[in-house]
Amino acid sequence: MSTDLAQAADADLPYTRQEMMAIATGRELHDGDLAIFGVGLSMLAGYFAQACHAPNIRTMTEGGVYGATPVGGLPWGIECNRISSNATSFTNALDALGFLVASGRCDVGIIGAAQVDKFGNVNTTGIWDGDGIIGDSYRLPKTRLTGAGGANDIACGAGRVIIMVTHEAKRFADKVSYISSPGYLDGGDARARHGFIGGGPSAIVTTLGIMRPDPETKEFFLDAWYPFSSVEEIRASTGWDLKVSPDAHVVPEPTAKELAALRRVDETGMLRKK
Amino acid sequence: MSRNKLISLAEAVERHSWDGMQYASGASLPVGSDTIVFGRELVRRQRRDLHALFHCNTQQLNLLAAAGAVSKAECGFSGLEVFGFANGLRRAVETGQLALEDYSNLSFGLRLLAGALNWPFAPSTVNIGSDIQWRSAFAPDETPARHKIPTVTDPFSGREVGALSPLKPDVAAIHVSLADPLGNAIMLGTEWSRFELSRAAKKVVLIADAIVDTACMRQFPNLVRIPDIIVEAVVYWPFAAWPQSSPGFYDVDEAHMKAMNKALATPEGTEAYIGRYVDGYTDLDGYLDMIGRDTIEQLSRTGTAFLLDPFRQWIKTPEEVRALASGDAR
Repeated sequence: MSTDLAQAADADLPYTRQEMMAIATGRELHDGDLAIFGVGLSMLAGYFAQACHAPNIRTMTEGGVYGATPVGGLPWGIECNRISSNATSFTNALDALGFLVASGRCDVGIIGAAQVDKFGNVNTTGIWDGDGIIGDSYRLPKTRLTGAGGANDIACGAGRVIIMVTHEAKRFADKVSYISSPGYLDGGDARARHGFIGGGPSAIVTTLGIMRPDPETKEFFLDAWYPFSSVEEIRASTGWDLKVSPDAHVVPEPTAKELAALRRVDETGMLRKK
Repeated sequence: MSRNKLISLAEAVERHSWDGMQYASGASLPVGSDTIVFGRELVRRQRRDLHALFHCNTQQLNLLAAAGAVSKAECGFSGLEVFGFANGLRRAVETGQLALEDYSNLSFGLRLLAGALNWPFAPSTVNIGSDIQWRSAFAPDETPARHKIPTVTDPFSGREVGALSPLKPDVAAIHVSLADPLGNAIMLGTEWSRFELSRAAKKVVLIADAIVDTACMRQFPNLVRIPDIIVEAVVYWPFAAWPQSSPGFYDVDEAHMKAMNKALATPEGTEAYIGRYVDGYTDLDGYLDMIGRDTIEQLSRTGTAFLLDPFRQWIKTPEEVRALASGDAR
């Protein structure tokens, strides 16, 4: 589908693709989870889950901001005053990312990605020109990105990780040029070599669908698409030969309750911008 | 012995900065607290060849990098969160003017902890197995990098983990909400890694949004995470983190965050920015005028203002602080 056609089709939707992605991500969170959210859209997805179906989720950000919910719209950062005006505890980085994540206590984390590969490895560090391979000497990136932040620590330590990413072919590479945050590395039991206490990414939730890792090979396959997307569109927007689960299915549309909860959290309408 | 350590910003930068120093900012990520006024003063004095140790990039590093003041930097995160990529830092990295060594937000904090404890290294269960371990911008030809996060064996379990090098910055300029003239400090909001940094750095300069009487510290000693005995100097500078935020005092200035980042994307924009927002004031009053009194009033209407309530009775007026600073601090 061309972009024009996609936008025309979207105009009829009662929700945006980004909202569908946030709701699908939020559905991955369970009541009672100790959950850590990255900056931006992943925060909206996380606090949506709390507002909708997981009221007893225990939330935190990597700054060590506990017991807080965003006030006045999407926080500009995980330490923004919008998330600091109703906290019950403020601590620090070593506490949140160390004592609570590296320790193995944290059940689930949500992170974003500039680029992700078929084993769920995430690149947020840079884009290199040519074939994207840096080579034996560390070349300057064509485009410098943001670096890993706390995502590397969440990817190593959280029980499960949900990667939230806009679905475009350039973002879905066979192999990322730089592993900022480890997924399953080169697949199989590669994570075991490093003894990570966290289980690795359980889902890649995109603006077009949901991918999950094969239990053996750890290669991500297509598990579900959205009411407005299709297997063909998703495969065409993925930079590797994406396998499709025999059980692949369509994700249920957002319910009125879910949309209302999401929009209460997304007060400033970040996810409604087309 | 405890003494009045209040000095002016100009004096603090004159005494406690030099070309080539390892400089750390005590901040809480790219939107919260930071000693951005210290960075503006470093630019004004044309400090060069700085080795910046920023747990997270902030608008301060973005400005210092854009101005060409930094040749090496180490960061756990190098963006501006929802404000996007840090254009000044990005330009300096992409042109090769600055070598940026990547860590993560946990490993950077662990390196400060190792520095504070005088440990030879901190064992790391993060960053291993990713390119943060294998790629080094400081040793580009050494791939996989062997000296950045070398693999070591846990002598108890035999497991392989990473060894993180300790950080001991020459100077840390640490932003705090409240300080007394002796250098005791309270931070509101996440302290991020300012506790560890204050112990790891060889010299600590505090930049405080407000100065309080020492009686305040005696009322809340559990909240005083930076005690005077490790502090060299105290600078009073309201809106020191602007355009970033300071819980209890002011919100992030969204318009200036965007305008500043846009300006720093080009050499011309950076020059214009420095002309207006670095050379555009000579004292605190001039600085506050530059931000704009209306903007200050608007940013001060923060939903976090109630966090300051327990401390207000001890906050000194600008006149009282001026009188203190011109006293035995000289």
